[in-house]
Amino acid sequence: MSTLTSASNHSGQAESGANVMTFDADDAMVKKFILASLTFGLVGMLVGVILALQLAFWPANLDLPWTTFGRLRPLHTNAVIFAFTGNFIFAAIYYSLPRLTKTPMWNQTLSQIHFWGWQAIIVSAAITLPLGFTQTHEYAELIWPIDIAIALVWVVFAINFFGTIATRKVKHMYVAIWFYMSMVITITVLHIFNNLALPATLTRSYPIYSGMTDALVQWWYGHNAVGFLLTTPILGIMYYFLPKSVNRPVYSYRLSIIHFWALVFIYIWAGPHHLLYSGLPDWAQTVGSIFSIMLIAPSWGGMLNGLLTLRGAWDRLRTDPIVKFWAVAVSFYGMSTFEGPMMSLRSVNSLSHYTDWTIGHVHGGALGWVGMAAFACFYYIVPRVWKTTLHSLSLATAHFWLATVGIVLYIVAMWASGITQGLMWRAVDEGGQLQYANFMDTVLQLMPFYWIRLVGGLMYLSGLLVMLYNIGRTIQTSGSAVVAAPPAAFAK
Amino acid sequence: MSNERQDVVLGHAHEADGIEEYDNKLPTWWVGLFFGCVVWAGAYLAWFHFVADTSQAKMYQEEVAAAALAWPAPTADQALAAAATPEAIEEGRKIYMANCVACHGPAMKGGIGPDLTDATWIHGGGLADVQKTISEGVPAKGMLSWGPILGPQKVAQVAAFVHSSGGGM
Repeated sequence: MSTLTSASNHSGQAESGANVMTFDADDAMVKKFILASLTFGLVGMLVGVILALQLAFWPANLDLPWTTFGRLRPLHTNAVIFAFTGNFIFAAIYYSLPRLTKTPMWNQTLSQIHFWGWQAIIVSAAITLPLGFTQTHEYAELIWPIDIAIALVWVVFAINFFGTIATRKVKHMYVAIWFYMSMVITITVLHIFNNLALPATLTRSYPIYSGMTDALVQWWYGHNAVGFLLTTPILGIMYYFLPKSVNRPVYSYRLSIIHFWALVFIYIWAGPHHLLYSGLPDWAQTVGSIFSIMLIAPSWGGMLNGLLTLRGAWDRLRTDPIVKFWAVAVSFYGMSTFEGPMMSLRSVNSLSHYTDWTIGHVHGGALGWVGMAAFACFYYIVPRVWKTTLHSLSLATAHFWLATVGIVLYIVAMWASGITQGLMWRAVDEGGQLQYANFMDTVLQLMPFYWIRLVGGLMYLSGLLVMLYNIGRTIQTSGSAVVAAPPAAFAK
Repeated sequence: MSNERQDVVLGHAHEADGIEEYDNKLPTWWVGLFFGCVVWAGAYLAWFHFVADTSQAKMYQEEVAAAALAWPAPTADQALAAAATPEAIEEGRKIYMANCVACHGPAMKGGIGPDLTDATWIHGGGLADVQKTISEGVPAKGMLSWGPILGPQKVAQVAAFVHSSGGGM
């Protein structure tokens, strides 16, 4: 608890005491980003549950073009990746960066433009995707005017971010900041180059790449969106919030440097593993596979540093829901970053590709790693920025169990479904003919798994609702309780 | 592994919002895993492209050749002859019930697709004509090409069934 204030004892420069500032302005942004993340998290996960229902029970498509699976699916992915996770990352950065650098965010106007611009982009996505306006590139569906808006708002954020770092009042840059930087730089490059297109009308454009080149650029983007939006910033967040939450030193500085550089160098090459057994040249497919295998250890470096930082705090695993969320998040990170490289091997991929196994894999990362890390951070940040204490620890614990059991049901159902699907597709009878040539044969076989997946998703969503209630009640008591950790002050 | 020199803090905490960092050694097994994966990557690359030369096109040709050896495709005459038996017609009935019922109806009276019991054969009523229609489909009217899905043997069987119970010539 005292760690929050101890930083202010070493500001290094002239401690006149005259210009003492707090992080109030930045914390106000943190509140906004958290509320946005919670709102869009609810929308994104609700749409996810509707999609799960549609796959098990087709009349849930409602026979309306706007509510069919094909249009709601990109709405779901965009909402959970860019709206829920995006706003969560921004909240965590606006909270931790000023504290780590003892410097307020560089420009409050840019902070506001960043926040409102990002929300406007999300709203325009929520309107255009159900209407059927799409570029048909996975995770890059948004049409070109929105892509330009994303680029502009992202650059605004980048200026604000690097402006803060440039004017920082400490020399050392803590490891979390490196991870944040890798996101800011790489997402800029990925987004711009994957969305280079010639506009034809306001809602339609043609990519400048054609055929296989387009596919390769797309999966260079798609894979690294996972790498630099759903992995490195969350690792940076882990490096700040996990040691803060357990009040323990990070296990190894050396490991953090080596796994950071190894991760960002190797990650960027692994995209072609999404195109195994396609028209992509063999050598490029091999590059995707071998870089994925080389990625195991750098990824596990992050898991190890997280788990080993929890050493000596394992007793709190029983009592502190934040520690529970972190332990499960880091474990799922380790699991997913082993499963992914395995799936990038040609022999495994020939079974797993195009099946529900892929869906299970991505949700292990999304629900297990990103989601659980987000919940840990919300329970940590909300009482601090609203200057109160959490309404209910037992509700947070209930959320933890709902989410954890929900993920396990989801993933196990998708493993079973995916492997069943893959084996049925390749099965041949004694005459050499496909045993299940009629696609419906395989679909009907998967129905039980689709219902189990729906139950898992509903549990995860229920957990989110419990958290929303808990956080809502916490905010209601804002300012009325003794502040657990007073806002850190620093000399300007 | 010895634990000496472990858990020594770096002293950066005042520049990291109070977060201390140990400078512990990299776990030996982790370093081993890292280098092991890098060595494996090089070995796989060399094996796949230079030693075994298992290119995608070559794998495809080998699999097709092996399949052709294991399951030689029956000639059209063989398929026609095989379809004449009562067993083949019974097999054809099962295939019809699994795949054709949706459009042509359980009593073959039609629905989405045309009636198969009347005397009108839009695409010809001979056994070979029926086989051809099933195999190639009528894409313009929404009938699938069943040849690639069922294979010549099953197409012959279901054609025999349709021909035997249908309106005939």
